[in-house]
Amino acid sequence: MRPNFFHHLHPPTIPAKQSRWRYTLGAGGIAVFLSLVLLVTGALEMFYYIPTQAEAAQSIQTISYLVPFGGLVRNLHFWAAQLLLIVVAVHLVRVVFTGAYTPPRRFNYLLGLALFILSILLDFTGYILRWDQGIQWALVVGTNLLKTIPWIGESLYRLLIGGAELGDATLIRFYAWHIVGLILLASILGIWHLFRVRRDGGVALPPPNLRADHERISRFELVRREVLAMIFVSAALLLLAAFVPAPIAPPITELTAISGDVRAPWFFLWVQEMLKWGDPFFWGILVPLFMLVLLAIIPYFFPQPAEHEIGSWFPKSNRLAQIVVAVLASAVLVLTLIE
Amino acid sequence: MDIFSRRDFLKLTNRALLTLSGLLGLGGLLRFLGYQGEEAPATEFDVGLSENYPLNSTTILPDVPAVLEHTAAGFSAMSLTCTHLGCTVEQDGEGYLCPCHGSRYDSDGQVEHGPATEPLPPLKVELEADGELKVSLS
Ligand code: HEM
Ligand code: FES
Repeated sequence: MRPNFFHHLHPPTIPAKQSRWRYTLGAGGIAVFLSLVLLVTGALEMFYYIPTQAEAAQSIQTISYLVPFGGLVRNLHFWAAQLLLIVVAVHLVRVVFTGAYTPPRRFNYLLGLALFILSILLDFTGYILRWDQGIQWALVVGTNLLKTIPWIGESLYRLLIGGAELGDATLIRFYAWHIVGLILLASILGIWHLFRVRRDGGVALPPPNLRADHERISRFELVRREVLAMIFVSAALLLLAAFVPAPIAPPITELTAISGDVRAPWFFLWVQEMLKWGDPFFWGILVPLFMLVLLAIIPYFFPQPAEHEIGSWFPKSNRLAQIVVAVLASAVLVLTLIE
Repeated sequence: MDIFSRRDFLKLTNRALLTLSGLLGLGGLLRFLGYQGEEAPATEFDVGLSENYPLNSTTILPDVPAVLEHTAAGFSAMSLTCTHLGCTVEQDGEGYLCPCHGSRYDSDGQVEHGPATEPLPPLKVELEADGELKVSLS
């Protein structure tokens, strides 16, 4: 048989350590699986979802309450999206805490970071598609935040919302980004990310002469573990989908009316909290951007993990990177909890 | 002479042309996405007959959103769109409170505490000949 992409990602044997749960946490693989669930359930939702102000929220109610298995499909889509953000964040933290980003993996680290941002944007655009009273103020605040950017803010705002005012043009733009623009970018970068994992020699380990553990496992053992992870994740998704429905509120009647939920979606609560502190451009745009840049430069400007420590938890050699990521993560967590 | 060979020159030209076409493509995409159909969002609101707003009354007009006041001096209106990031403020005692990030304004629209820094702006109110009131933004 000719080798294909599956074989590229599953060589005949790999070092056992590369697929230990306690090393990788399985987070990257679970993210791939969740993305596939999102593609399938999202494609199914497209058969009913109507991206107009008048009908969006209603069409989601139709999916949720009338279409056979529609509620299941929608809840799976919702929960897979929320879990994806958490799993991708865990994956990022794991990569830093095990020093797995050293050359030749620096570029793949950046690809991963871009995928994290794309997942957040996908989650936000998907959330806006509800066009119900629950998303109203997040939409107003989020888009107005762009306007605070000097020079280009106003044009960026119009480009995003498709006019001078929120309306049908806005919804169709968010829809196009959600189902085509962002998905296209994420698919290209996602496939590239996976390809690079193998090209860079698989999951990060010390060079062979510095390895303590020489055990290897076969392709079949690797696939067995992957299937196991898929079964666990599917069970968790099905439980969540069965017992905790995705939110939907009445449709927006007037974009100015005082109604609905003023809370941002959960993954932006930390930004909402910071916006209370003053200048929106500084707290809402510069600070998050600064955090992103800080993450991006870790493989390039921070003390590097020593070769023999790569792939073990909390290497002494890259303490600074671990501290920075721990501080950023705790800050986001605390801000989210107090908001 | 060897410092910059023919091959280097071609490589550089190649890169430059690729970058240029990339930028042109991006510029085209931005212009494509930047098209604006209808301009002019609604700036004038007919809020009905003036008799509906008796002397010494204050009325919230949720569609604008604004608060309309009728005093001996005549009609006046104030925007209820928070100057921080645009949520609609709610009446809170004498003043107004923004539910989004907690800005507070007094009854005249002056900021009592932030994050907002600008007061709620006054709006123009016109009384038409047929007794209809018109509130306009700006
Ligand atoms: C990483 C990938 C994705 C993420 C993070 C994501 C996230 C979301 C979220 C959070 C919602 C709102 C869910 C809800 O309120 O029920 C949503 C809705 C939606 N998504 Fe996705 N999505 C992704 C991929 C896709 C794909 C691949 C498609 C289609 C091919 C799609 C189509 C839709 C549609 C049609 C809706 C509107 C219906 C609804 O809200 O239930 N999504 N998405
Ligand atoms: S929008 Fe009113 S306080 Fe932020």
